[in-house]
Amino acid sequence: MKNKIPGYHGGLLDINLTTGKVCKTAISSEDTEKFIGGRGLGMKILWDRLKEPGINPMSPENPLVFMSGPFSGFPIPSASRTCVVTKSPCTSPLHSCHAFASTVSYSNMGGFLGPEIRFAGYDGIVITGKAASPVYIVIDDDKVEIRDAKKYWGMETDAFDRQFIEELGDRRFRTCYIGPAGENLVSYSCIIHTAARAAGRGPGCVMGAKNLKAIALKGSKMPGIADHERFVARIEKTRKYFKGISTGTLLTMFWKNDGMAKFLEKNSENGVLTVKNFREGTFLKADKIGAAAAKQKIWIRSSACYCCPLACKRGGVVKKGPYAGIVHDGPEYETGTMFGANLLVSDLGGLMKAVFDGDNYGLDIISTGNVIGFLMESYEKGYIDEDFLDGIDLKWGNVDAILKIIEKIARREGIGDLASKGVKAVSQKIGKDSEKFAIHVKGLELAAWNVHAYPAKGISYATSNRGACHHNGEDIDQQNFYAMVDSLGICTFATDHGRRKKPGLDKDDFADLLTAITDVEWTGDELMKAGERVFNLEKMFNYREGFRREDDKLPERFFEEPLTVGSEKGAVLNRKAFNKMLDQYYEKRDWDPKTTKPKKSKLEELGLSFALGSV
Amino acid sequence: MGEKRPRKRKEHRNLMKSTRRDFIKNMAVGGGTIFLLGNLGLLQLSCKRLGLEGKNGTFSMIVVDYSKCTGCRTCETVCSAYNHKQKVNGKVLPGLGNPFYSNISVYSFNPDVDIPTVCAMCPDNPCIEACPVLPDTKTGRKALYRDDKTSAIKNDLSRCTGCGSCAEACSARGVGVIVPNPATNQPERMCTLCDGDPQCVKYCPYGALSLVEVKPDGEFYRMPPDIIAEELAKRWYTI
Repeated sequence: MKNKIPGYHGGLLDINLTTGKVCKTAISSEDTEKFIGGRGLGMKILWDRLKEPGINPMSPENPLVFMSGPFSGFPIPSASRTCVVTKSPCTSPLHSCHAFASTVSYSNMGGFLGPEIRFAGYDGIVITGKAASPVYIVIDDDKVEIRDAKKYWGMETDAFDRQFIEELGDRRFRTCYIGPAGENLVSYSCIIHTAARAAGRGPGCVMGAKNLKAIALKGSKMPGIADHERFVARIEKTRKYFKGISTGTLLTMFWKNDGMAKFLEKNSENGVLTVKNFREGTFLKADKIGAAAAKQKIWIRSSACYCCPLACKRGGVVKKGPYAGIVHDGPEYETGTMFGANLLVSDLGGLMKAVFDGDNYGLDIISTGNVIGFLMESYEKGYIDEDFLDGIDLKWGNVDAILKIIEKIARREGIGDLASKGVKAVSQKIGKDSEKFAIHVKGLELAAWNVHAYPAKGISYATSNRGACHHNGEDIDQQNFYAMVDSLGICTFATDHGRRKKPGLDKDDFADLLTAITDVEWTGDELMKAGERVFNLEKMFNYREGFRREDDKLPERFFEEPLTVGSEKGAVLNRKAFNKMLDQYYEKRDWDPKTTKPKKSKLEELGLSFALGSV
Repeated sequence: MGEKRPRKRKEHRNLMKSTRRDFIKNMAVGGGTIFLLGNLGLLQLSCKRLGLEGKNGTFSMIVVDYSKCTGCRTCETVCSAYNHKQKVNGKVLPGLGNPFYSNISVYSFNPDVDIPTVCAMCPDNPCIEACPVLPDTKTGRKALYRDDKTSAIKNDLSRCTGCGSCAEACSARGVGVIVPNPATNQPERMCTLCDGDPQCVKYCPYGALSLVEVKPDGEFYRMPPDIIAEELAKRWYTI
């Protein structure tokens, strides 16, 4: 059952793990034109399948949607992304009449999965139901098998990655899987791919709830295309563009030299690094864990995702010290900051071990680092004692203690059981005024960009549709731009971030490529409109669940405790100014500033009238 | 073609001039085949007859600097696009680049090692030797044969019986790149050297691939990807 839509296969692979039924579901050209693919089309699928609010994200009904975009599978530079869309197991509103109210969750991951979904002949894979016992899924073009995974249950991701491909017997298979954290339903567990890439911020938990250990897929197909000649010319132009800027000192050289880790020292200097559970913006020992140190002591090589000329991923081996011999990726900016600066860890070897463990258990390192930072601060302040922490002396910078907590979280043992529920839950348990330094929005932990001196990032976190997300965009245009980019299947690192001054592909480049692929004449502005549509549908999903303006709130810390060191010493957010920024944000979005409900006229303008009756 | 050649030469000359030492050093680290960096050696596609008849026993092939490869698989897509052209509205255009049909394949391993794998142009011709089709009386060719110009392995589809012997021989004695077509069982994935302008070399964003004249006694020559990966992992990640 497939529709002929140029640039798409026109079908989803639908797998129900309760019944074992596998079928292909058509997608309509109306949906591809409105929601593009990836994050946008994934949201539309989620909307269509979850017809009412309050459905338990851990229940069999919650679909786990692996989406490619219309760029996926074509050799467009940096078109490597996979978007995993589901109902979030991490978030919750302050007030809602629905017991299991939570936001949408969209996790964007690099690597090779999105393209391979298309090679296998699908635009996306939708997993519903729950297997009676652990299983994995093997997809080889039209052949789909659900196999027993009991022997793999409990296996950590690094070992699994090696063994699974051996069993599959063909290295052309692309795989993704969960670790013990996902199996044990740690709310912020990841789906891991290539042992180090991750669809983070929660979908691993939903996969675990479905008793699904892994998916392997490969294929031989490619979707048809509307204008072959134009496409070939545009690809050539895009490749030339990247080659051109790589000879200068711009975009590609930036990534090629240091990858994301470059930001560690840079942000520390600028006072926007996450340090000591978001208490500070500058880490005085940032040079010990930054790119220069990693280059000297750890890194061996760079890796790139599918057809990407940037290669931002670094990996290597710890050569000295107690953790010598650890082979892994990183540290990059988020992992290096959340397990490094945020916990005052300056031992690069220890940091690498923590990052390895986090990935190996299949934990989200942003959330895990955030939760541990919160526990460290609570411990330092005497809100909790060693007994509360199962006897672990969780002092700032104590790598051994951090490693113990990481394992406890993944296995949900002792303190780990509470910590596995996220910083919001831990803070509720500890009580007192600990919520002031429980650093989350809507229940999802903030990432490695601090906001005392960076109000725009504060807006980004507060208004993100999946809870505190560092990829949300700092103003409306950028948010719409990112929503569009995430829907196309290309990586934001290759773009101009919606800012025309920066190097990188812009909305008109995307429109040009998408017009060649599909039979629709796209313009950059229409693509931006599609991004806005996606963002508004996500918003409507959250609104239906009960999220209101009171939920778009940053922790008190950022308004009350100014930074005490670094170039931004004294910086703190001004509550009045911040609220005014939010007011302006909602007004510009055409949302009611009191409730954040998108206005009827806005939804109609965006072609989202179908969402009107839902609330 | 007339326009392309000088540019290509220039690139390679720069490579020799400025980074010849690095190049050799990387090769030593990353493995690969021993190079003959003569005045002509690195630059030109060999038009000589192949195999042991060649000057100094050398021949041209795609060689990988494993230390530069990032595993992005751009090579697979450009190979596929060039070697599987499509006719669209009467025009012959490059294909869309489906990597499934590529003659070069990047195999990825854990720990992180990526091994682009391509026909090794084996001078002792295990695939041709295995071909049971009798040599043509005029050309002396079996179904599988060496192209006179590029020395690449070619298959005469009209004479090939699809017996699969070449694929078996390739996997037993070569790198194992030959894959029988699922429908016809005829051999595929032999490197064509793209008529002398290999697309993988041209488009690799990381300069990891080169067309060079080699002598078949380099340390990783003809080794299957898993053996190379194991050895590189040992070198890179063992302390």
